Amino acid sequence: MNRKKQRTANLAVLPMYLFSLVFVAGPLVYMLVLSFMTRDGFGFQNAFTLENYAKIFDEVYFATFLESLKLAVISTAAVILLGYPFGLGAALLPTKYARFFRTAQMIPYFVNSLLRLCGWIIIFRANGLLDKVLMAAGITDEPLKLLYTYPAVVVGMIYVLLPFMFLSVYQVAEKLDLTLVEAARDLGAGKVRAFLSVTLPLTMPGLKTGIVLTFIPSMGLFFIASILGGNKVVLIGSLIEEQLMRAHNQPFAAALSVALMLLTGVVCGILMKKRRDV
Amino acid sequence: MKKLALILAALMAAGTLTSCGGGAGENGTLNLFTWEGMFPEEVLTEFEETTGIDINYVNFDYDETMLMKLQAANGGDYDLIIADDYIIETAIAEGLVQKLDKSKIPSIGNVNPLYQGQFYDPTDEYTVPYGAGVQTIVYNPANVGIDITGYADLWDASLADSVGIISNYRVINGMALKVLGKSYNTTETADIAAAGAKLNELAPNIRLIKDDYIQDDLVSGEINAAVMYTSQVTMAKLTDPSLEVVYPKEGIGFGIMAMFVPSKAPNADAAHKFIEFILDPERGAKCYEYLGYYCTATASEPYITEEYREFLTLPAEFSKDNMEMIENITPEADDAHIAAWSEFKGLCE
Repeated sequence: MNRKKQRTANLAVLPMYLFSLVFVAGPLVYMLVLSFMTRDGFGFQNAFTLENYAKIFDEVYFATFLESLKLAVISTAAVILLGYPFGLGAALLPTKYARFFRTAQMIPYFVNSLLRLCGWIIIFRANGLLDKVLMAAGITDEPLKLLYTYPAVVVGMIYVLLPFMFLSVYQVAEKLDLTLVEAARDLGAGKVRAFLSVTLPLTMPGLKTGIVLTFIPSMGLFFIASILGGNKVVLIGSLIEEQLMRAHNQPFAAALSVALMLLTGVVCGILMKKRRDV
Repeated sequence: MKKLALILAALMAAGTLTSCGGGAGENGTLNLFTWEGMFPEEVLTEFEETTGIDINYVNFDYDETMLMKLQAANGGDYDLIIADDYIIETAIAEGLVQKLDKSKIPSIGNVNPLYQGQFYDPTDEYTVPYGAGVQTIVYNPANVGIDITGYADLWDASLADSVGIISNYRVINGMALKVLGKSYNTTETADIAAAGAKLNELAPNIRLIKDDYIQDDLVSGEINAAVMYTSQVTMAKLTDPSLEVVYPKEGIGFGIMAMFVPSKAPNADAAHKFIEFILDPERGAKCYEYLGYYCTATASEPYITEEYREFLTLPAEFSKDNMEMIENITPEADDAHIAAWSEFKGLCE
């Protein structure tokens, strides 16, 4: 019976609904309410205020939003430029090699990204592995200052986010019907024209997914800026952590989190909307 | 004051948990709640063997987490807690701490009076200090062209892009306050803003801001001068004894870690026994060397080995007159600090 099946299905998803309600919706509502409360010592009092939101527009704090947005855009752009051709190229290889590339992309991710970044520090720090090799070879005479710079942060972001783009593009490109590209070429399209009017639109869903999967985390990934940037690039995530753990201003931290979610939501909304249009 | 020899500490704490997790010892259990790596394993084992009390070592990462758990337990669950001064002030104010029974702690006189009678427990009724963090400057004389004697020297142009600092804004903004001749604990927002402006001028010299393993950057040569936590100074000095440790001439800021017994501790008696046990001069010295913080027991100082003495005991000229604790301040002053700090960090890029 259809109705019976429906009931079984409802029962099957019930635990998941409850789980989401308690552990996803619950904290979000708590955070939203908290963001309108007034700070009091280490905690807060139940007095409604909009001050926490007003404070976000304070020049100092607003700058962290711009900084986060800037880093997210730069990282996402770099990941598109590197990840899209890589994902597309790998998918078009014979299956054996394609699988190899796909697996090779994922192996480093068996290890926690925090640990991998700490590994980078050992290699790139002053008088670290790289410096020692370069100085021994007589290529440089003093330690390079590679870490704790903006480029170091961007490279770290690319490193962590690249697989999201690679896998999204790879998955779609794998199913790409190459005869369509051939047809375009037969009908007189040049390489560039064929790519722009056939390959690109057909792989666009993968690219879009990749952008969303790259952009969202890059707005919140502040540990990379902390580790490789020496905390000098102040992102919204680090500001929230600081407000919560050091300044003990829970309501302001909540307001910042709500604002971050709104901002990310709006950007993703724009991307998703365009996706439907394609 | 939170960052210790984490790896060793984690191993040690894990070992302690597995070895004494289970059932109560013949004389009950001591629920010890503190950061990882606060005591050498051998001292904990010795306590268990001599008293027959099992230690259940539970750790927290931040003072704030500790306070939340203690509030949730309504002052129960734990027998002895070791945490930072400022959070203890709050815990006492909330009635979560019980007065110590000094008759059970005959060695209380071993404590250095410099670390007693402080803001969080003015009459010493609730706490016994266990280790102090003292704000110093550490630098590598081989790579620094000037003689650093105070905070103001960190602003010197020769240190461009080569200074490392921890991300504790009360300590770092405090440096600028000290350079301007103000107190660490000023609540005048104008003074804090002025310190922020002064701090902004330090930005070109800042190479990195971080809390974990900053001592490695000083040892490796990534930075040449640093302001860091005391345990990190200890680790840096042990790795490279040629580093210079300076007591800034503008004045010394410090913080204290202290032991206290929660108001509804299930086994307050065991807690008192443990405090007395740690106050033993020789055993205490062993603990402070392991911990890497300044020795807060005068009686233990003679037992601190030569290698550690220079950076675990204060020179005689320091007293309450020229040292200042970093205390809780008003929310407005705290806001002014965090605004100044955020602006400064943005300029460091």
